[in-house]
Amino acid sequence: MPSVEYDDSKPSWADQVEEEVDETTLPSPKETIRGNIKTITEYKIDEEDGKKYKIVRTFKIETRKASKAVARRKNWKKFGNSEFDAPGPNVATTTVSDDVFMTFISSKEDLNAQDQDEDPMNKLKGQKIVSCRICKGDHWTTRCPYKDTLGPMQKELAEQLGLSTGDKEKPAGAAEPEPAQPAQSKTGKYVPPSLRDGGRGRGESMQPNRRADDNATIRVTNLSEDTRETDLQELFRPFGSISRIYLAKDKNTGQSKGFAFISFHRREDAARAIAGVSGFGYDHLILNVEWAKPSNN
Amino acid sequence: MKPILLQGHERSITQIKYNREGDLLFSVAKDTVANAWYSVNGERLGTYNGHTGAVWCVDCDWDTKNVLTGSADNSCRLWDCETGKQLALLNTSSAVRTCGFDFSGNIIMFSTDKQMGYQCYLNFFDLRDPQQIEDNNPYLSVPCNESKITSAVWGPLGEFVIAGHENGEISQFSAKSGEALKKVKEHTKQINDIQSSVDLTMVITASKDNSAKLFDSTSLENIKTFRTERPVNSAAISPIKDHVVMGGGQEAMDVTTTSTRIGKFEARFFHAAYEEEFGRVKGHFGPINCVAFHPDGKSYSSGGEDGYVRIHYFDPQYFDFELEA
Repeated sequence: MPSVEYDDSKPSWADQVEEEVDETTLPSPKETIRGNIKTITEYKIDEEDGKKYKIVRTFKIETRKASKAVARRKNWKKFGNSEFDAPGPNVATTTVSDDVFMTFISSKEDLNAQDQDEDPMNKLKGQKIVSCRICKGDHWTTRCPYKDTLGPMQKELAEQLGLSTGDKEKPAGAAEPEPAQPAQSKTGKYVPPSLRDGGRGRGESMQPNRRADDNATIRVTNLSEDTRETDLQELFRPFGSISRIYLAKDKNTGQSKGFAFISFHRREDAARAIAGVSGFGYDHLILNVEWAKPSNN
Repeated sequence: MKPILLQGHERSITQIKYNREGDLLFSVAKDTVANAWYSVNGERLGTYNGHTGAVWCVDCDWDTKNVLTGSADNSCRLWDCETGKQLALLNTSSAVRTCGFDFSGNIIMFSTDKQMGYQCYLNFFDLRDPQQIEDNNPYLSVPCNESKITSAVWGPLGEFVIAGHENGEISQFSAKSGEALKKVKEHTKQINDIQSSVDLTMVITASKDNSAKLFDSTSLENIKTFRTERPVNSAAISPIKDHVVMGGGQEAMDVTTTSTRIGKFEARFFHAAYEEEFGRVKGHFGPINCVAFHPDGKSYSSGGEDGYVRIHYFDPQYFDFELEA
């Protein structure tokens, strides 16, 4: 097509409109090589939905030294069923599969351990599959020898305890949950993990001073894009010791998204920082500083 | 490592082989085509079309000019490696099980199955004499009455062929007189594969009796034994390290009744001297039928019952790994 010329600059919007009207012609495929990266841009119309697709493929060009014979063979023409394949691997016959790793076995013991792992029945060995609800024995509940003696007693006990747990639902205090838990498990009732013995305690211990942190955290907004963490450190250090600075950054460009969270060790320092910096002109912008809202998680 | 998956066959792979430099990889399967691949990127160079039955074996001569394939369509064919043209067709009376060029590339050997009332023969042709091809008349044809040949390689200096038999025997057949020079029986079941080391001084056998054994090529002395708990379909010797890779697993007929985990279809790496396994690589959905080391020792390939060939380039960990004795 000698009359149509594509140059590297963006085509004007008028040209684009024209292109869209003419659905049947596609821009010719482009191939650019920059350094060792080859980019092929192709256009195609999907037969099913009639939409136009732009396919961009990037290749890394690798140069390897090889003997003359090997190099000559690399230039052989394809033949047989591959006769009409384009240069380079054909996706129909060659694909790169998922990563696999060589598992190293350093000693005999490892090997045996691995073998045992692989047999699912071995895992179950030594584990009790059946457990009696009454006496915790290795048999079905209905076959329990103490069914008639222990069973009714336990039921009574469970009912009493069930009442007491019902009372406790209303006050949120965790004053005496201990007796309730064994009773629940004894009756075979499902206990959600969050309510199980020690469940609450563990959840708290995971985030020990999160709350305290939140209390002394301020949010700074309207920062300029060029802001770095060090800038914030310089700006806020005069108010007190800082425990954490979080500056939201764009994943790709690394530029600031315009807001940050600063955690101080002491709440008074944070308060002074709000009073001092809010409305402060920084890098041609007026900063807005306020208390950070507690995060949802 | 990210293996390159080659999907050029519709049925299970029977044999894969590198050429001498290792830039090309040949694969044959129970379908009718033989494939040639560039090992560096998995690009398919071409296919050798012409066979009408399962192809059992493939070999390439030392200067990568000719390719030899043997098939269950009762023929052994010689191809021009570069163009894929068929140069010669040698008809036989039964399926061709193994084939090979000697180091000079001048003499070819192939063995035929004991089948349909025909004997197992080991045939030798000299390619320098076109008359032999034309008349389909081998200069030497050795009958094997006792047990058929299931795998064979050329020994050093092109003097003899080392053949593995169905009953577990290994024997040497002279390429000049055809007489059986030596015979040992170290395996109890069929030899599935024999491969030689890069300098042809040693061969490794893979047997259905769950073991692979390293032999001295000339004396047929059993040097090392590598034991597993599954039939071994193929074994190869690393050209640069004291390593041996073995592929195998459940027999093909039992594949559908075993899970991939229990089947132990991994490629297994053994230390050649300590006879101890040190690594495994998973990947195939089914037993591995053939393994081959790249002649530079930096990659290996495996062909499986699942019909795929996988080229694995080793991670640096493989080269750093030292087995604690």
